[in-house]
Parts: sequence; C-alpha cells; structure tokens
Amino acid sequence: MNKLIALIRVSLKVNFVVSPIRHRLFHERRDRWMILLVLVSIAGLVPMFTAYLGLIKTVHGILAPLGQQHALLTLAILAGQLFVVVFGVYYVISAFYFSRDLELLIPLPLKPFHVVFAKFLTILINAYLTIMPLVLPILIYCGILDRVRPTYWPLMGFVYLLLPVIPLAIVSLAVIGLMRVVNLSRKKDALVVAGALMLVAASLALQLVIGRPSAGPGEDQVVRFFTSRDGIVHWIRSRFPPSIWATRILGVHMQPENWKALFLYAGISLLLFLGMLLGGEWLFYRGLIGMKEISGRKRIAARKKPLRGLSSGMHPVKAIFLREWRIMNRTPIFLLNVLSVILIPLVFTFAFRRGGKNFMPFVLQIMASTNQTYKILAAVGFMLLCSCLNGTASSAFSREGSQFWVSKVIPVSYRVQVTAKFLHSALIALLGIAISSPLILWVLRLSAAEIVFAVALAFPAAATLIIVSLIIDLARPLLDWINPQRAIKQNINVLMALLADFGILGGSGFVSVYLLRSGLSGYIVIPLLLAVFTAASITGFRCLLRSAEKRYPAIER
Amino acid sequence: MIVIKDVSKSYKKGAIRAVDELSVTVAAGEIFGFLGPNGAGKTTTIKMIVGLLRPDSGTISINGLDNRREALACKTITTYVPDDPAVYERLTGLEYLNFIGDVYGVSKKQRIEQLEKWLDLFDMNLAIADPIQSYSHGMKQKIMLIAALLPEPEVFVLDEPLVGLDPRAAHHLKEIMRRHCVNGGTLFFSTHVMEVAEKLCDRIGIIHKGKLVACGTMGELRTQARDRESLENIFLELTEK
Repeated sequence: MNKLIALIRVSLKVNFVVSPIRHRLFHERRDRWMILLVLVSIAGLVPMFTAYLGLIKTVHGILAPLGQQHALLTLAILAGQLFVVVFGVYYVISAFYFSRDLELLIPLPLKPFHVVFAKFLTILINAYLTIMPLVLPILIYCGILDRVRPTYWPLMGFVYLLLPVIPLAIVSLAVIGLMRVVNLSRKKDALVVAGALMLVAASLALQLVIGRPSAGPGEDQVVRFFTSRDGIVHWIRSRFPPSIWATRILGVHMQPENWKALFLYAGISLLLFLGMLLGGEWLFYRGLIGMKEISGRKRIAARKKPLRGLSSGMHPVKAIFLREWRIMNRTPIFLLNVLSVILIPLVFTFAFRRGGKNFMPFVLQIMASTNQTYKILAAVGFMLLCSCLNGTASSAFSREGSQFWVSKVIPVSYRVQVTAKFLHSALIALLGIAISSPLILWVLRLSAAEIVFAVALAFPAAATLIIVSLIIDLARPLLDWINPQRAIKQNINVLMALLADFGILGGSGFVSVYLLRSGLSGYIVIPLLLAVFTAASITGFRCLLRSAEKRYPAIER
Repeated sequence: MIVIKDVSKSYKKGAIRAVDELSVTVAAGEIFGFLGPNGAGKTTTIKMIVGLLRPDSGTISINGLDNRREALACKTITTYVPDDPAVYERLTGLEYLNFIGDVYGVSKKQRIEQLEKWLDLFDMNLAIADPIQSYSHGMKQKIMLIAALLPEPEVFVLDEPLVGLDPRAAHHLKEIMRRHCVNGGTLFFSTHVMEVAEKLCDRIGIIHKGKLVACGTMGELRTQARDRESLENIFLELTEK
C-alpha cells in the first residue's frame, strides 16, 4: 500500500510539474509573473463564463415549465463523459505506453496494477480539471436555480467524482487490450495510430449517435420529445444509462429509485475500475515490454549496403522540414493529434450520409440557406477548423523537447529553421483543406467558382493562424516533458494558440457579417478579407522571423 | 582556437555563480581537458562555448570569431557532443547523419568517405538503418560522435565523451582526438577520468565552484600542488574545499 501511495504521489508531482514550479517560484524566485498571467487569463474568461451561465439560465427557464430541468443535468453529465472518452484515448495511450518514466518504473519492485493505478489516477485528475468548466457550472447553477435539498450538494460532489471513472475505465481497458495485440506485430507504431484512430472515430461516432435525436424532424415528435415528462431523460437512458443514474441521484427527493441509481452508478464505476486494474495486472506489461523492439529485416539489408539511402545533400530548409515531417509521422502521439483533426471531416461525412440533412449543424444550415458569401465564409471556417486547429504549429518548438539543443548548435540560421517549421505546419494545413474541400462542396453545394474563392481565402487565413501559433509557442516553448502528450494536449501554448485562432476567426467573421449587413457586396467583402489575411500573413511572417532571432538564443537548456 | 575571456554565468538571479570570471585560451592543435567535481561549472562552460547558454558577462571567441555576434560562422567550424545523448530517437542513424551532413553542407563524396571510415571504426554499420530509439546508450553516444566528426570540424567540443563507450570505442575516440589536434584542430573536452586527462591532454584546467583553480600542462600543475604524484591527487587537493 505504501508503495502505491508513494507512486501516486510521485506520478501526480511529475504530471503537474509540482517540484520544478515550486523551485522556480520559491527558490529561484523567477517566473512569478506567470501567477499574474494565470490570474489575468482567468479574469479574461469571466465574460465567456458569464455568457455560459446566462445560457444555462435560459435553457433551464425553457425546460423548467416542461418539467424537464433535470435533462440539463443529464446533458451536462453526458457531455462530460463523452468528452472524457474522446480525449481519454490520447491521455491513456500516451501515459500508459509512451511516457518516458516507464523505463524507470518497470525495473522497480512494483506490480503492474500499481503503475496502472497511479497513471489512471493522474489521468482521472486531469479529466476532472478538463471537464470542470463544462460540467460544474451546470451542476452548481441548476442546484441554485432549483433550490435543491441540502443533500444535493454532497451527492453532486459524489456524482462529479465518479463522472469520468466509467468512460475512462472503458477507454483504458480498450487501450490495454489494443496494445497487447499491437505489440505482437512488427508495425507497432502504425498499428497504435490505426487502433487509436479507430477508438477516437468510434467515440466520435458514439457522440453523434447519442447526440442525434432518433425522432424524425416531425413537429409533433419534437413537441412530444420535449413535453412528455422526462422525455429527454428517457431518450438518453436508452443510449447511455450512467448519465441517467447520475441524474437520478441528484433527484428532488431521495426515493428508492434514486438509491438504486446511486448503487448502480457507484457499483458499475467500481466494477469497471477494478476490471481495469485486473486487465492492467494481466496485460499491461505484456503490451508494454517490447514496444521498443525493432524488426531485424533492416539489419540484414544494412549489412549488405549500410550507406544505401545516403543523401547527396539538400538545402537546410528541406533537411529541417524532413526532420519535422519524419518525427511527427513516427511519433504516434504526435501523429494522432494531427490525424484526429483530419478525422473530423471524415466522421462528419459518415454521419451526414447516415443522418442526411437533419444532421447538418444548425449554423451550417442557416449559412447554406442564405446568400453565396455566407456559404463561402462558412466553407472557409470549416476548412480552417479542419486544417489549423490541430496543435501542429502551436507545438512546433515544444515538440523538440530535450533535443532542442540540436537546433541551437547546427549552423543554420534561426530564420531558416523557423521557415522550415512554418512549411511543415502549412503542409498539414493544406492536407486539412484538401480533405475538407470535397466535403464542403457536397454539403454546402458550393459551385466551382465559390469553392475556388473559399480555398483562395483559406490559404492566407491558414498561414496567418499558423504564424500566430508559431509565435505563441516560440515565445515560451514547453521543452521539459517526459510524456509526449504534454507537448501537445497539455501544453498551454496550444490552448493559447487555439484561443487566439478562435479570436481571429471570430473577429473576422463578425466584421464580415457586419459589412455584409451594412449592404456591402460579397464581391467586395471576400477580396477585402483576402487582402487583409494576405497582408497579415506577410507581416506576421516577418514578425515570426524577427522573433526567432530574439527567442532562440534566449532559450537556454 | 578557443578564447574564453572573463566569462561569468549565474543562476537564481545571481545567487549561484556557476561560472565565475573564467578565462582560458585553447590554442589550435591543442587538446584541453576540463576537470572539476559535479556541479563545478564544466557543462555550463561548454554550453556557453557552443552557444547553448548566454554568458552574463565576458566573451568567447572561436578561431577569432565572437560566438554571439558571429554565431553562425562559429557553428560552421564547431561540432559538439553533449554529456546526455538526447538525439532524435524516431530517426534512423543514417537519417540523423544525413540531417547533420545537410545542415553542415557536407558533400556526398565527403559523406561516403567519412561515414565508411567512422561507421566501420565504431562498429555501427549494422545499426545504421535502425531507429535511434533502439540503440543502447553507448550506440547513441557513438552515433553522436560520428555526427560530430562528419563535417570535419576545426573545433571539437565534447562533454564527457567517454561515458558509455566500450573500451574499444573509447580507445578509438582517444586516437581520433589526438589525430584531430595533430592536424591543427582544437579540442575542448570535459572528463572525470583522470588517467585519460593525464595521458591525453596537452593542458588541463580544473574548475571548482565556477572558478578556474588550476590550469596548465601536467608539469605546471605538479608545481602548484603539494602532493604531486598524480593528477588525481592534485585534483583532490585543489577541489577539497
């Protein structure tokens, strides 16, 4: 038991970088401005949070007269659990199989379930923090609005604590099983990526299936769906019961049915958790050991001609681009993050084919039904969503990690190095645009001319977003990581870049709509945006190059 | 030639002086061994020479070029092997060497000549097509040494280069170091192996708590210490406080 507690303490400290932060803030007494930055960032989220509370109040106000206010709790719990499923795949694969601390942990006198337990708990705490802004405001605000009984509050804490356990345990079991199978093959990395993508696709598909009402679009069905007592709740129960159990626990009165829900919710969580530990004890090390073994085929080929494949010399930009490309493609965790975004349009296509027009998001439907310029703008927005918001650019420097020293000692100017990184991110963006374009053509029924306009606008806009992301990551790259997932998903630079990108997109969208509503023609607005983004990308690129000259020498390792 | 002049580097806002007004000159054709206890400032000094760290004060020049103002020119003539072989694990050995060849502008002819020689010498022919992540610590060290030798640098900076190498590879490396300097190159390296420093180095510097406490040939160091029997005794005496 002591071993397990010690391991959990160390895992949590490593995951949350406790010791280095404490050392920096209290011993070295530097970076204290970061505390201020965090406080300012939190303060910056206040308007968004207020709007979210407003939305909760509005929806609650609509549902309460229909006796459906508990559906809001169900939807919040369900959203939190589905969120955990999708992101859990990355966290679990990365923490269980690609974390560098495994080399230290395996030789220690620990049982596999000790390691699995500690890592699971770390991911669980990450999950609590991740879903907190989404779920907790609803649980708390609904409690206040409904003037609930006092027992609601401890039960709410109980529900929240168990909320990610079921989805995370399911994902962990799936990943442990997957890795056991993958480990038998020569092409381990490729299979890890393929398997993980299948899990992510399955999670997204599950999300779409649960998120899409089975009722048709008929008006009476919709009315019945909302007006019948617990209509939404019954509908969700048939798809994902744990969220219903959780809602029942938080019911107005503690009836026998609620107790049953409580035991089911806690019991299934505990069973799955124990099952995950048992699966870990049996399969975890078998899946882990041998992950770094390599095929012997290449050795035989190498014996015959070791220098086959020797380059005849290429430009440093090409050499660095190739390095970025290879490392990204061969590090499963990095590749997964990129591919999953490319996966979105594919899942979208799949869902659209099954669900027809009813599936089409509300916003897209509105845009598709109005004028040509809105359609083009919607197309550009979707292309950028699929191409730029994947963390490639915003982790371009962080991904180098402990190997960053190489970039500092090679005789290649920092401008050239940054240019190569820009080109790499641009290629990924191009891929996203190329994959999303045919889909947009089909969904929004854009004409050839419209899609040309959209792609032409998407290029400079994508370049601008990439440059902003690169500047953000270059300002303070996260180079001290042992788990590759930290370089992308748990990297605050990626989050900041995401917010900045959304800000740019939202701002340009807002200005465009304003101009269009002011009576300006789309033939003026689109070229105007094109000119603005082209100018922004050129100016931004110059800033990026200047920033590289300043920042590279200042990054000391 | 490396000229380090009044270089200081501190951490924790000046509370810890990792390197304190260090001045050393390493002439062309010279092997300079840099010794010191753990945390004495050896790696910090080496990192400042190759541009990984910026000195708080003082200057470092390589073959007459200021390593901050003319950083790119300095890097072109210098190669470095760190104490920790943290290298691109997802590349194969050959891909990494190709990358180094490309960024240093090594011609294909030179690459073939160099790599045939070094891969054979360090017995890395069979592993070259494998991903670096499959290498042992010693093999990673070897691939980094080969990468550092590939551009035929004028200045060679090595941090604990013998750690992890098998006796044969260590022997070859010492030969290479000697030959490099016979051909007019400059070599600056840190080590904890006193015998190596004693036998291999033209001059030795001992750093302790960031200050250079002794510098010179073995003969000169002997005159500075009471117990003059071995470099180990001199080292222990100079770094005991």
